[in-house]
Amino acid sequence: MKPVPAVPIDGGEVVVAGDVALEIFRTGSGRPLLLVPGMDGIEGALDLIRRLSSDFEVIAVSPPGFGASDMPRHVSSVDDASYILLDLIEKLDIEDAVAVGLSLGGWFATEALVKNDTRISQLILAAPLGLKVADRDEPEMTDIFMLTAADAEHRQQRTERKTPDLTALSETELRRVLRNREAVSLFGWSPYLNNPKLRHRLHRLKLPTLVLWGRQDALIPAASGSAFADLIPNAELQFVEDAGHRLYSDRPEELAAQILHFAGNPIVKKEHDHAGLAIQ
Amino acid sequence: MRVWQFSEQAYTPAWSLPGSMGVNLASKHCEPEQAGALLNRYLDEYMLADELGLNIMVNEHHSTASCMSVSCMTTLAILARQTKRARLLALGIPLANRTDPMRVAEEIAMVDAISGGRLEVGLVKGASYEVFMSNRHPTRFMDRFWEAHDMILAAIRNTDEPFSWEGEHFHYRTVSLWPRPIQAPNPPIWMTASSAGSAALHAKYDYTCATFLSGAVARSVFQGYRQSYQETHGRKPHENKLGYLCVVATASTREEAFRRAEKMKGYFDTAMRLDPQFRNTPGFLSVDETIRMIKAGPNANRQRMRNGQPLPADATVEQYMSAGLMFVGTPDDVYEQLKQFYGEVGGFGNLLMMGQAGTLDHAETTDSLTLFAREVLPRLETLTLSDCTIDEAVWERTA
Repeated sequence: MKPVPAVPIDGGEVVVAGDVALEIFRTGSGRPLLLVPGMDGIEGALDLIRRLSSDFEVIAVSPPGFGASDMPRHVSSVDDASYILLDLIEKLDIEDAVAVGLSLGGWFATEALVKNDTRISQLILAAPLGLKVADRDEPEMTDIFMLTAADAEHRQQRTERKTPDLTALSETELRRVLRNREAVSLFGWSPYLNNPKLRHRLHRLKLPTLVLWGRQDALIPAASGSAFADLIPNAELQFVEDAGHRLYSDRPEELAAQILHFAGNPIVKKEHDHAGLAIQ
Repeated sequence: MRVWQFSEQAYTPAWSLPGSMGVNLASKHCEPEQAGALLNRYLDEYMLADELGLNIMVNEHHSTASCMSVSCMTTLAILARQTKRARLLALGIPLANRTDPMRVAEEIAMVDAISGGRLEVGLVKGASYEVFMSNRHPTRFMDRFWEAHDMILAAIRNTDEPFSWEGEHFHYRTVSLWPRPIQAPNPPIWMTASSAGSAALHAKYDYTCATFLSGAVARSVFQGYRQSYQETHGRKPHENKLGYLCVVATASTREEAFRRAEKMKGYFDTAMRLDPQFRNTPGFLSVDETIRMIKAGPNANRQRMRNGQPLPADATVEQYMSAGLMFVGTPDDVYEQLKQFYGEVGGFGNLLMMGQAGTLDHAETTDSLTLFAREVLPRLETLTLSDCTIDEAVWERTA
């Protein structure tokens, strides 16, 4: 196994799950809450993590290749990585936990939990990626690889956030940003940020699941959220006002409140404002 | 020294369009009959090169108005039949963008067979922006490159029974080339380098190493190659193992040569016209390489002029000449400039000459090539390091 760089976030630690060293960031106390961050890594979700830590023991994990987590050669898909997340859940001996997946992290969490959801009790997906329901000649979501870094940032959230000036970062910070980008490319270059097989597996997910979508998501249309909510048997879709794709950046207080509420009242109302999608 | 004629086979009528010249340039701007006429013209110039005693180099790019050759082997399949003497160099085949290395091996074998064993094969990483067209993963790109390389060489060199291949990236039930290439054990293999480190690797394989438009950096590339070659093989490499690519404008007067060079300079201007997100697709360079690049700053990789200053983005012909990217003038001028560069980089045996570039038209290209072949080529063929005097101070400024 390759040496793992030091974790630069306070509270960060390295846990070996299966044969893979994963970076986790643990904070707060209460029910365990496993959080899988988005394309911008744990750093991007720190505000949300801080808010959740007053009610939960938050365990945020960098998936393989992100942050300081190892990227073993045998992992080349989110499907592969999902087994490593399951190894982590077992290693940490988490029980009756809440799982939260943000954007890309929602895809990771979903792929793991369709395989085994016994240690998780509720799932909250905040604008998850990974599902392809659009026609073959229509992109499911905007191709961020075709955009400049600044345009891609702009597309993902309403809150003003400056594109990071890479030249101003320390080498450790820069390495984390570049590893995150490389991992997004590895997992999402082609098929573009989706697994065509995922739609045929979502029926296995029996957890009460809340799918949240930003009303102003400019990256990926809400039809994708509707499809998640339709294909997961016990799921409900809710919109968050005044939010783009990164709910955790645009409305962290609202997202934290929704998570807290759903974790305590996992009652799913299967009444969507859209037509049902049948599995083909 | 051997000289190779090279043209990117540009679709110049589109160069007046605003914006990027690659990836997202709409093909509605391509007039197919005009494209066909241009491609035929460039092939005519390659055939002229053959008659003039020059060798031939072709390349490929994708979805761009700066290069219409979409496959080295398609272009060389035509030239294998239509030329008689020239060595035919594909520089190169972007291996990690290819889905099927077996097909690459088959095309190499067929073109070598048709040409009577005149093929030389460059295996290259290619440009970052090309993964947008191939849609092949930018991550683990070189892992895939080397597995394809190993499989292709195994297929070409195989003189025994069929074999099977079950690698990490490629899987073949049975490999058996029909036809086999004429050159044994394989046509000469080329690779490209822009640093001493990558050149050192090519030396270990005994492959020919070319560096493109790198100016003074060619010196360290070649040094890296020579040192590694000596260590690996216990002897000095032949000069023919090293190549340098540059733009050459020859005319009977200096004024006319500079006028031609001005038209050829359009090649550099259009090559720059690519949106920034296509220049370093995440994963195409390793994290360490990208960190080094960011920390070194934007000028670190710019070629340097003889005064030590980085070559500006909107450089003049004179500045390109000073950096060793363009060689311009009468046959005597061009010979003297090439001789000086040759001496300063410690010698090389292949001049990869962009004798057509930009909007240089057919009559001008024909005249340039003819003049070069008659008056410069014979002198280059006998050039040795003992003919050269070297200004070492230049290298302290430009290294």
